[in-house]
Amino acid sequence: MLGSTLAILGVLILIFAVIAVKDLVLAKIKHTRYNWKNCLASYGMILPAVVLAFIFVLLPIIYSLGYAFTDFYLLKPDNITFDEDFSNFTIIIRSIREKGDMYYAIRNTSIFVVGVVPLQIGMALGLALFVNRTKKGVGIFKVCYFAPVVISLTITSYLWLQILSPSEYGLLNSILKLFGQKPRDFMRDKKGAMIWIIVMSAWQGCGYQMLIFLSGLTNVRKELYEAAALDGANSWEQFLHVTCPGLRSTFLYILITVFVGACRVMVQPMLMTGYVSDTLTLSYYMYQQGYTNRWVGRSSAVALMMTIVIGAITLLQRRLLREKD
Amino acid sequence: MENVAMKSPNVGEKKLNRLTKGKKIALSTVYYICGTLLAIIFLFPLVYMLATSTKSESSYAADAGSLMMFLPDFHNLKSAAENYGKVFTDYGIWRYALNSFVYAAIVIVLNVIVNGLAGYVMAKFDFPGKGFFSFVIMFLIIVPVETSIIPLYSIVKILLRLKGTMSVLAVILPSSISVFNIFLFMQFFESIPKEYEEAARIDGAGSLLIFFAIILPLSKPIVATVATFCFIGTWNDYLWPTMVLPYVEEGWPLYPIQSAVTSIQSIQGITTGEIMAALIVTSVPIFIVYVVAQKYIMQGFGTAGLKM
Repeated sequence: MLGSTLAILGVLILIFAVIAVKDLVLAKIKHTRYNWKNCLASYGMILPAVVLAFIFVLLPIIYSLGYAFTDFYLLKPDNITFDEDFSNFTIIIRSIREKGDMYYAIRNTSIFVVGVVPLQIGMALGLALFVNRTKKGVGIFKVCYFAPVVISLTITSYLWLQILSPSEYGLLNSILKLFGQKPRDFMRDKKGAMIWIIVMSAWQGCGYQMLIFLSGLTNVRKELYEAAALDGANSWEQFLHVTCPGLRSTFLYILITVFVGACRVMVQPMLMTGYVSDTLTLSYYMYQQGYTNRWVGRSSAVALMMTIVIGAITLLQRRLLREKD
Repeated sequence: MENVAMKSPNVGEKKLNRLTKGKKIALSTVYYICGTLLAIIFLFPLVYMLATSTKSESSYAADAGSLMMFLPDFHNLKSAAENYGKVFTDYGIWRYALNSFVYAAIVIVLNVIVNGLAGYVMAKFDFPGKGFFSFVIMFLIIVPVETSIIPLYSIVKILLRLKGTMSVLAVILPSSISVFNIFLFMQFFESIPKEYEEAARIDGAGSLLIFFAIILPLSKPIVATVATFCFIGTWNDYLWPTMVLPYVEEGWPLYPIQSAVTSIQSIQGITTGEIMAALIVTSVPIFIVYVVAQKYIMQGFGTAGLKM
């Protein structure tokens, strides 16, 4: 591993050197001069960030690309060989075909993304429009809707685990009991578990996007509303023709961040149900393969596929929403 | 009402006025009722958590299914003290909380210095090869790379060989670098006029001194924003510390509080009230930070929008 790291470092330094030499040549042509004392100072000051970014940001990215094509097993780190048959990928594809874990991971992640993205963004936009007015007490509402964002995913998961507790004293079961229902085990329910995770995640997250929408709303110029009102537009038309275009870039930002975040969902199923096929997600599968089972190669192959799919969809979203500027 | 009637000469206008006023009050009422209902939806789990944390197992069972679920156990305040006392002493949550505070403090200091220096260099200096760094920064911000937590794990454990107490570094160092924060600092520093620096440079101050004595004090808002988000991120991080830290090392546990809550809530025979008390203890510091640093969090949102 040390060898490959040094090789990567060498390549990066080479690229840097080429660019630096190009800068120096250009300076010579233009007869400008670098202040050498300042140059040295800047190299020195940027060094800590460069070292940390190289080890903890760039290397993992490069390795996750590379590992996907090897048979890297974490307990035998000195014995990595290039995998000519791409067996990591064939195993994944076979797992999808034979309805193995990978199939469920893709299915559940898609269900989660399709469920949570519109729900969370819709709730956030609705709340933002609701609190975007100057009335007494609106500030208190804002704080209330934002409160769940503050607590961590761990706390949220355990809290909801208690609310959805299978015992008859759990919050939901004790209410159902009033209507004569028997206690249910919500998180063991085949279809229900994922729905509860979606609801919980949207409940927890939407306050954050509400605030971003709000700051986007304040950037929409007031005169536009007045002009629209003078033209006789009712409030729905105002929303459609003034608010929506004004929120375009905010919406794009929120769509991409919520989408990428939803694709990575992992902690909620991990803490609330454990590794079961009904709620298993892609990130969770990746973690299970790479950390619990120590098959880093296979895990990285999943990561690589995810990066490609997420990147492609993100680009598509950007294209579609940006065109009309 | 009488006053208005006397002042307005036109009866018809008065009627219209009254109608719209009545309508306004009705609309207002509807608005507040909707707002309150929404607030209940968002708050009931938190209220439930707080109320249950004060209850013994028997009164938790007795209150189930009634509105008492959302009220603390006023009759038996002793059980509240018992729950919290047990969480603090028997389960020793204060140690994990202290760990989290220490990790967060170190991450904040390193994050501001490391990324601040890089942002300062990128904003104010020109040197051969600068284009390389700007390209890397922009690339890492724009490309959505699937968090490579497993390769990062292999780097920390195999390349750097961080084991035992040293694995604390694996929690602190990766959180101390943030390309996005470099970008934030860079943007902020670009808006600081050159005159401040030039004056200090004439007095013979070096670049490092200028950064710490002039640039950072001028950039309090951005430093506060970065520090706030660092604290929240470190305090709420669960998965990564649980992966890299050993559970107990030489008597003093290394786990941060989120990882500890996971093991606390699976202790045999723990009551619901105690679990809830542990959850409350874990959430309170972050609530305080949000209240105190509200302004800086809002600034963070403002800059988040700039990114796209």
